[in-house]
Amino acid sequence: MNLIAQTVADGLVLGGIYALAAVGFSLIFGVLHVINLSHGILVLLGAYLALIVSQTVHIDPLLTVPLVMVVLFGAGYCYQRFLIQRAVDRSPLGSMLLTFGVALMLQNIMIWVFSPDMKSITPSYAFSSFRLGPVTFDAVRMSALIASLVLLSLLAAFLKFSPLGRVIRATAQQTLAARLCGVNVHHVYALTFAVSAAFAGAAGIVIGIILPFSPADEALWTMNAFVVVVLGGVGSPAGALIGGLLLGVVNTLTAQYIGPSFPNVTMFLLLVLLLLVRPTGILGNAFSPSR
Amino acid sequence: MAAVTLAAPAIRSTQAQSAKTLVFGGSVPLSGAAAETGLNVNNGYITAATYINEVLGGVEIAGEKYKIELKLFDDASDPARATTLIQRQIDEGTNFFLGSFGSNIVLPTAAITERAKKPMVQTGGGSDAIFTKGYKFVFGMYPRATRQFASAAALFKSVQPTPQTYSVMWTNDAFSKTAGEGVKLSCDAAGFKRLDSFELPAKPTDVSSVLGSVRANTPDMLVCVMHDQDSLLVARQMIATNTNVKLLFQGLGPQLASFREALGKYSEDLFCSTYWDEAVPYKDKFFGDSKKFVEFYRSKFTRPIAYHTAGAAACIETYILAMQAAKSTKAEAVRDALASADYETFYSRIKFTPDGDGDPIIMGSMIGQVQKGKLEIVFPVEAQSAKPIYPQPTWDKKA
Repeated sequence: MNLIAQTVADGLVLGGIYALAAVGFSLIFGVLHVINLSHGILVLLGAYLALIVSQTVHIDPLLTVPLVMVVLFGAGYCYQRFLIQRAVDRSPLGSMLLTFGVALMLQNIMIWVFSPDMKSITPSYAFSSFRLGPVTFDAVRMSALIASLVLLSLLAAFLKFSPLGRVIRATAQQTLAARLCGVNVHHVYALTFAVSAAFAGAAGIVIGIILPFSPADEALWTMNAFVVVVLGGVGSPAGALIGGLLLGVVNTLTAQYIGPSFPNVTMFLLLVLLLLVRPTGILGNAFSPSR
Repeated sequence: MAAVTLAAPAIRSTQAQSAKTLVFGGSVPLSGAAAETGLNVNNGYITAATYINEVLGGVEIAGEKYKIELKLFDDASDPARATTLIQRQIDEGTNFFLGSFGSNIVLPTAAITERAKKPMVQTGGGSDAIFTKGYKFVFGMYPRATRQFASAAALFKSVQPTPQTYSVMWTNDAFSKTAGEGVKLSCDAAGFKRLDSFELPAKPTDVSSVLGSVRANTPDMLVCVMHDQDSLLVARQMIATNTNVKLLFQGLGPQLASFREALGKYSEDLFCSTYWDEAVPYKDKFFGDSKKFVEFYRSKFTRPIAYHTAGAAACIETYILAMQAAKSTKAEAVRDALASADYETFYSRIKFTPDGDGDPIIMGSMIGQVQKGKLEIVFPVEAQSAKPIYPQPTWDKKA
């Protein structure tokens, strides 16, 4: 019983982190209908920025979240407004090719600037743990989970209650109607991408404190985001959370009870099953009801 | 072809002047998953070639003076790209090849050079698959993966009190999988009882379940054979979950300064394998000894030196020694000289098995242990710079 409790707890912790890593991807897909293949590289950019700032200023890496989010917000806005939008205007597949190319270029720039060596962000509590009943929790993963849940909640509140959030949702649901109401759709798309990039960067910080990372890892985080979105549904933090938690628990239960080399097998089997049974994901498309 | 050239620019192309030119082709991962060690290998090749050209003024083979030209390309850790580049070089007439890093790249590229009957000397691939296909033209600076653990098992037998049990984990990639088999073969043969074996995905992100099993059925020794990034993940999660064993062996990881820095004081007493150290006693007619090699390397690069760097330099030395022994630069003659090699380089005595991998006794690994932040050689006794510390303190005592 203790083993099941430990395994599920480990899965939920891991899943919360997957959810944060995927929510930006989900938002872009839901609002802009763009598959952002440079999502993983934005996650890593957040991790590297946090590493530099935390080492230079000697602060806890989680305290770098606001700064990293601001930087990536600005970068994400420019990236979408001046590059991706042009590709989308020209062809439906243009954005995929462009974001793939940008990911390759940025990966190589990171290798040049940071070297291909693995890096890790080591906060003071990196090696601590605590117990709640029979279950042991890794302090750094718990911190990462709490940060993920706080950020996901903030994003959900932003989308639901803020004027900009309402505009984003309206644009996603009925783009033409939003345009007719005077919404600058391109500006909204760029702001949405900026928000997503900011959250990708925040996810990078969270990932960086629990896992060693290097530029070669970008594809892993793009793939994970894709799986989480398919599982949980498109466009909402809640969908990303459900998808992430499901992925995390499936991961740890499979590793424990089937074999440590099988998580990817069950993950993709689950993906295929869900695509057959519920292709829009567990919570469906957050922006579809008004269509 | 032009597009391939633009996409894969030559990493190094030193120009020969009045002497003849010995061209070494090949690819190295300077980007992608294997780039960290690929860069170390590339630097080793450059160090040897630069030293031979600039300091020694070239080498004499059969009465002719030669300078070295490296024609190496970035394969981006992609086997498909590597094979394309190697095939192109063969078509262009390159006769001698240096290996990439990573068994998943070395294996398919070795198949191509073997088919073309061109020698390859490499320090990047240890998987058994490379050396059990009957290749005659492929030579590796390590014993094959299943034979690499013999020295570690011998060390484990020698520490007191003698450990009784072990568990092993590895990641599902071409090298680690066969290395895991090697651990089981060597430790079982040495009389240790195996409690568990765990195969992790190729890129694990969480090992909490596995460590739960380790805590439930704790061995005296835990052996991890995987690449350094994964070793660091395992170590960090062991510390965070207070998973203690008397001996933790991580094949790749503790040798690297970045690994030790990431773990800090928790890296103390971790064991690893290494094939070279600055203090090894070998001498050769190129650099003289390892200290001079390190000195020259540091005059050219700021990157910390790793054993792969020395191994890569030794690949070029081995080629030269073979050509000098064969008194020829023809591929077949050099191949025959490599097969019968028994040379001394600053890196190691070089002797290959009939299958082309390094002799497991002569070219087998040394065992290192982190002591006071530094990697000390603790086995074999002849190469010892410090005695092994066993058992290791628990993680909370290291804090």
